[in-house]
Amino acid sequence: MLISIFRGKFAFALKVITLLILTSILVMLAQQALASSEYAIAIFLAISIVMINFVYLTKRSVPLKFFLPGLLFLLAFVIGPILYTLVMSGFTYQTGNTLSKADAITQVQKLGVVQDSNQTIFDVTIGKNGSNELSLLYFDSLTNEFAISTEKARTAEPESTVVKDEFDIPSSSPNFSALTEDELGALDAQIPALKFYYSDEYYLGLEGFQAASLYKKSLQFNQARDEFKSLINNDIYRDNGRGNFANINNPEDILQPGWRSPIWFENYTKLFSEERLRTPFIKVFLWTISFAGLSVLTTFALGLLLAIALNKAIRGRRFYRSILILPYAMPSVMSILIWGGMFDTEFGAINNLFGTDIAWFQNAAFARTAVIVVNLWLGFPYFYLVASGALQAIPAELSEAAAIDGATPRQIFNKITLPLLLKILSPLLIASFAFNFNNFNLIYLLTGGGPIAQLDGEIAGSTDILISYTYKIAFNQGNSNLGLASAISVLIFLLVASISMYGLKKSKVLDDFV
Amino acid sequence: MNKWMTSNLWRHVVAISVVLFSLFPLYLVIISSFNPSGSLNLTSFLPREISFVNYSLLFSDPRIPYLSWMKNSLIIAAAVAILSVTIGAASAFAFSRLRFKGKMSGLKLLLLVQMFPAILAISAVYVIMERVQSFAPGIGLGTRPGLLLVYLGGAMGVNIWLLKGFVDSIPAELDEAAKVDGASPMQIYWLIFIPLATPVLAVVALLSFIGTFNEFILARLFLVDMSERTIAVGLQSFIGGQYSQNWGPFAAGSIIASVPIVVIFLSLQKYIINGLTAGSVKG
Repeated sequence: MLISIFRGKFAFALKVITLLILTSILVMLAQQALASSEYAIAIFLAISIVMINFVYLTKRSVPLKFFLPGLLFLLAFVIGPILYTLVMSGFTYQTGNTLSKADAITQVQKLGVVQDSNQTIFDVTIGKNGSNELSLLYFDSLTNEFAISTEKARTAEPESTVVKDEFDIPSSSPNFSALTEDELGALDAQIPALKFYYSDEYYLGLEGFQAASLYKKSLQFNQARDEFKSLINNDIYRDNGRGNFANINNPEDILQPGWRSPIWFENYTKLFSEERLRTPFIKVFLWTISFAGLSVLTTFALGLLLAIALNKAIRGRRFYRSILILPYAMPSVMSILIWGGMFDTEFGAINNLFGTDIAWFQNAAFARTAVIVVNLWLGFPYFYLVASGALQAIPAELSEAAAIDGATPRQIFNKITLPLLLKILSPLLIASFAFNFNNFNLIYLLTGGGPIAQLDGEIAGSTDILISYTYKIAFNQGNSNLGLASAISVLIFLLVASISMYGLKKSKVLDDFV
Repeated sequence: MNKWMTSNLWRHVVAISVVLFSLFPLYLVIISSFNPSGSLNLTSFLPREISFVNYSLLFSDPRIPYLSWMKNSLIIAAAVAILSVTIGAASAFAFSRLRFKGKMSGLKLLLLVQMFPAILAISAVYVIMERVQSFAPGIGLGTRPGLLLVYLGGAMGVNIWLLKGFVDSIPAELDEAAKVDGASPMQIYWLIFIPLATPVLAVVALLSFIGTFNEFILARLFLVDMSERTIAVGLQSFIGGQYSQNWGPFAAGSIIASVPIVVIFLSLQKYIINGLTAGSVKG
């Protein structure tokens, strides 16, 4: 009976319909991606479409039928981003260098203009001329005549035909009719890009709906030589290999914006060679190691102590146990925020309880203590639970035999129980180290990485760990550096991966494959 | 008496002091939630007055879309839990029971990928989703479906790995017998494996649910609109952002949001803890 659902016509029809719907959605997405020239995404979607249809319509590979969906998700949202991180780490990818080179050149040209030396401004009216082209009607105070400028040409208008409004601004003429409010509204977004002809050298650029200034080009792009030339002082700006056009006489003088330019390993070497980056990086790195180490040590120690204390069937053990795992059951985001409030200087419960007046998050040592205490609260139940389990797993015969041989309880613990426990729990200890190494939520939500020494441009705080520091570099408002952040990400990955690999080798998880 | 003192007293002392340490913040949140003055303070161990102002504020103040936050979190977390386990279970089955070329390297790759902490790739995910946004505004940056997709991708590595561990522990005799009787892998999967694995799948789905419910940073980056936020991001904005230090409603909001999670956790702790020791540290 049941089997017929998975075989037969009904199942086949269902499969084909599902595939059809999925394929058409993906095809639509791929088309849209192609239309907005996101080629990598379009190619990925195309491959997915082919794979899905091939795998589910033929009988070539049964295993693929099972893991293709998982594989595609993994490729799209995990492996893809990882590779992209790797690529980004080889580029100047930061505020001011986020465009492609072609876009950057267009932008530089657009921005490469200067106003005339008198900063002349005309009162203008926007409208259409006789041949329905967008144009401006204005009184030219330089030549003392009325004129209409379109994108390509400028024609003088005899004063007698021009109608002026109550502010004495020319508003219409036989060759010109002003736009309505609605038409102006529709034009609003294009205003900065509009140019109107004034002379061979100058053009009119709008400053809002009623005024225009005289501009002239200050930079000339030479396609063949891939360089900009200043029309003002004839300086040459060339590609400096770092994503900017720089003045060949003065490398500091660069044109904005720049583009994402490949610099290979510079983001990595910069971390070690540039004092400005190296000092905070090393400081943050050392604290990350100490934080992760101390976290594991404190949570494990308290968890183990509890596990030993409650390893005997004492009265109330069930009650204790159910309370002790509460911190672990609470959503950690909320616990962290609550602790943040408790450490508040003025109104916080901690200062209140101890009658102190400590500004916990203003001082490096106090802030670090707070971080460790909060993490202890969050993490000890885990080790209490696993250590309890491990204690049960150690055969009682071992300690009984030792006791018969005259060993004291302390000797039994030090020589037998603890070494065995460490052996059983070492993979979990290592995993916990790796987890805390990247315990972003705790730092971000509790201290925000602070306190921060008030140096200019310094963003690393005393409790910042590598991952929160990286996050700040990547998403720092106004000065984000995705290239550098990606390089640090890759370094953290290498570190955490080698720690975890070591842990896994120890736990022999890899032997259990097959 | 003396013997009891030496052998058991210290155990109670240790347990009680840690119990107090555990309960202190929780107790504080509970009394703050009933305290109309709105700070996380400890003026006395017993609340002077009990008021439900903070609770009613959550559901009446139009500036606080608490119910939408809760709804967003529950829907997203449930969707991630169900979908990621559905997809993950199939992959785990393949990795555990089927033979194919490249299985070993696939597993190793999975393991390696899992070690790349999700937050590290966050800038890449951000840029990629920004691009997706440019051609498919419904599933890109700033949308709940987009966030869901990213979560699903992120959950895949852990879940496949975790599920494979569980699948390995289910005896293979049953499906071998079915194979002898001529069942196809699809039939083995649906008729034998899924019924057997349902309790395990439920636990992994639950872990996934709790993990997603707890996720903060992606949700914060992705969801900007007040009413689109998840509960974690929304509650954080109480005390960090424009409401600055609104502890009363925050406390009330956290309690309502935490109770279901804590209840689920405590009632299924045995299973959850097995899952946790099998390969993940709760975030």
